[in-house]
Amino acid sequence: MTKKDKQIKEYAKLLLKVSMDGGDLTVERVEGVLAVLEKNPPRHYASVLKAYLKLAQREVAKSTAVISYAGSVSPAAVEAIRSQLSSKYGRTIAAQTEQDDSLIAGVKVIVDCDVYDASASAALKELETSLS
Amino acid sequence: MSSVIEQIEKQIANLQAKTVTSNTGKIVQTADGVAKVDGLSEVMYNEMIEFPGGTIGIALNLEEDEVGCVVLGESTHLKEGDEAKCTGTLLSIPVGKGLLGRVVNALGQPVDGKGPIESSDVYPLEKIAPGIIERKSVDQPLMTGIMAIDSMIPIGRGQRELIIGDRGTGKSTIAIDTIINQAKINKVGLASGDPNFRPVYSIYVAVGQKNANVARTLNVLEESGALQYTIIVTAPASDSAANQYLAPYAGAAVGEWFMDNGMDALIVYDDLSKHAAAYRQMSLVLKRPSGREAYPGDVFYLHSRLLERSARINEENGNGSLTALPIIETLAGDLAAYIPTNVISITDGQIFLETDLFNQGIRPAVSVGLSVSRVGSSAQIKATKQVAGKIKLELAQFRELAAFAQFGSDLDAKTKAQLDRGSRIVELFKQPAFNPVPIEEQVAVLWAMQNNYFDEVDVSKVVAASNSVRDFFVSRKEALLNKIREQAKIDDALASELKAAIEEWKSTFSA
Repeated sequence: MTKKDKQIKEYAKLLLKVSMDGGDLTVERVEGVLAVLEKNPPRHYASVLKAYLKLAQREVAKSTAVISYAGSVSPAAVEAIRSQLSSKYGRTIAAQTEQDDSLIAGVKVIVDCDVYDASASAALKELETSLS
Repeated sequence: MSSVIEQIEKQIANLQAKTVTSNTGKIVQTADGVAKVDGLSEVMYNEMIEFPGGTIGIALNLEEDEVGCVVLGESTHLKEGDEAKCTGTLLSIPVGKGLLGRVVNALGQPVDGKGPIESSDVYPLEKIAPGIIERKSVDQPLMTGIMAIDSMIPIGRGQRELIIGDRGTGKSTIAIDTIINQAKINKVGLASGDPNFRPVYSIYVAVGQKNANVARTLNVLEESGALQYTIIVTAPASDSAANQYLAPYAGAAVGEWFMDNGMDALIVYDDLSKHAAAYRQMSLVLKRPSGREAYPGDVFYLHSRLLERSARINEENGNGSLTALPIIETLAGDLAAYIPTNVISITDGQIFLETDLFNQGIRPAVSVGLSVSRVGSSAQIKATKQVAGKIKLELAQFRELAAFAQFGSDLDAKTKAQLDRGSRIVELFKQPAFNPVPIEEQVAVLWAMQNNYFDEVDVSKVVAASNSVRDFFVSRKEALLNKIREQAKIDDALASELKAAIEEWKSTFSA
């Protein structure tokens, strides 16, 4: 990594730090940061923004639970998953649902790097592995 | 049949209630057998990473933003965006006696076409070496069957003795001779039914070698009947750098199983120069900072952590041992290069093989002046000490005198005698490849040399005389050889028996 890349990364980290409010990334803070950057663009503006975007995406992924399901999932179940995960990770987790028929049946939840797969396709894959 | 159905149904029922939890990431870049992965927040150093298609990688670079994984095997099908999954397990290899007689790769998979390996135990490739409390001093000999080594540079069980020299000087031959000799000793010992006999199992790790060379070694071991006590771990030159890097650790894990279970094992790393080069290649593609000769900063640790795993363990911890014979190839006899000096400093001595000696026909081409065994002398049997105590000094003095004698023709009687004796000792230590000599025969020959029985033999006939002594003892004095082996020291009675036997031989040889 070059000195320039290192500086860009450090700057983006600082921007992310000021975008946080009580450990959570807030829309208001991000808007504020972007407005200030637009007014006083730093050196390598585009690269800084890209690095900031990457860090922000990671932060958003950390506090978002993507709930994929096949069939149907009730709002109560979604809320139960969301609250369970919030208490597990110790931060507010937002739930985002999407239908995925490749799961066959059941639910799959992704929070950042962690995958919780309670779907029929995962069960079948595990069965396949254990039998081979 | 119905029980099988029930079993599957039961497993399905179990799975239905289960949530599969995993820590994943996505490939952001892949090149040169290295995949950079974003995510894998819970990855461990050296953890196995699962890629699509069942491909396995190992996490070697844990960075702030990404994880550098070295892919083991084929990596061309991997692409950006593919999922990588933590397995939670460190790289492991099957171990145990089921591997004896087999050829496996760095992951413990058989490559000899003899079917699957029967083994219930697995050992991690990387393991912390035994600590101070568990260790014991080296005090049991490990006979190589090479007279020059057993008499002057003795090796003990649990020792790390480096074999170093230029290409084509017979480094691998010494290691293979040692393996063959262990097999010979094992056969005699196990046949004797001695409950105190401890066989030595051998592991030969071939790193970066041509497949033809490995096949030749395999044939030699098979023909000499040593394969049944040997395991070959191979990562040939055509294998990826990652496999070549892992092979010595895989061999060490296999050897450790024998040591941990109270047995003795010998491991040959052939060779660690290629191992260091493979690690350098891997480190460079992982973009680790390079240092001297472009090797990464931790190249010393690469070999020290490997060789520290060879040890002699005390009785409370099983009394096993793992002896290591690492091999290093030098360039133009340069012992002061980076990797040779590193490994010399780690090991308990070195056997230096000289190209000049080899070309002069002195084989094994052991350089007496530069070879040393730091701990082996306490493991040498008393009989060898009695007959070979002064030989190393005599030979070293001979080499020095021989160099001076080239410049002058007038030499005093004492110098002439020293040169004469030295040239006979040099001849005596000449030994063909793959022909290890049992220790009792070595003692008999060296006793004859010590007591000047070869003085009247022409220098060019010393090798023939030595072979004749051995043949004479094997065919006519087997009881005496057994006595030397069992007694392991020469007392007055044994000395007089040896004298009588050698006198008898002398009459037959002269005739």
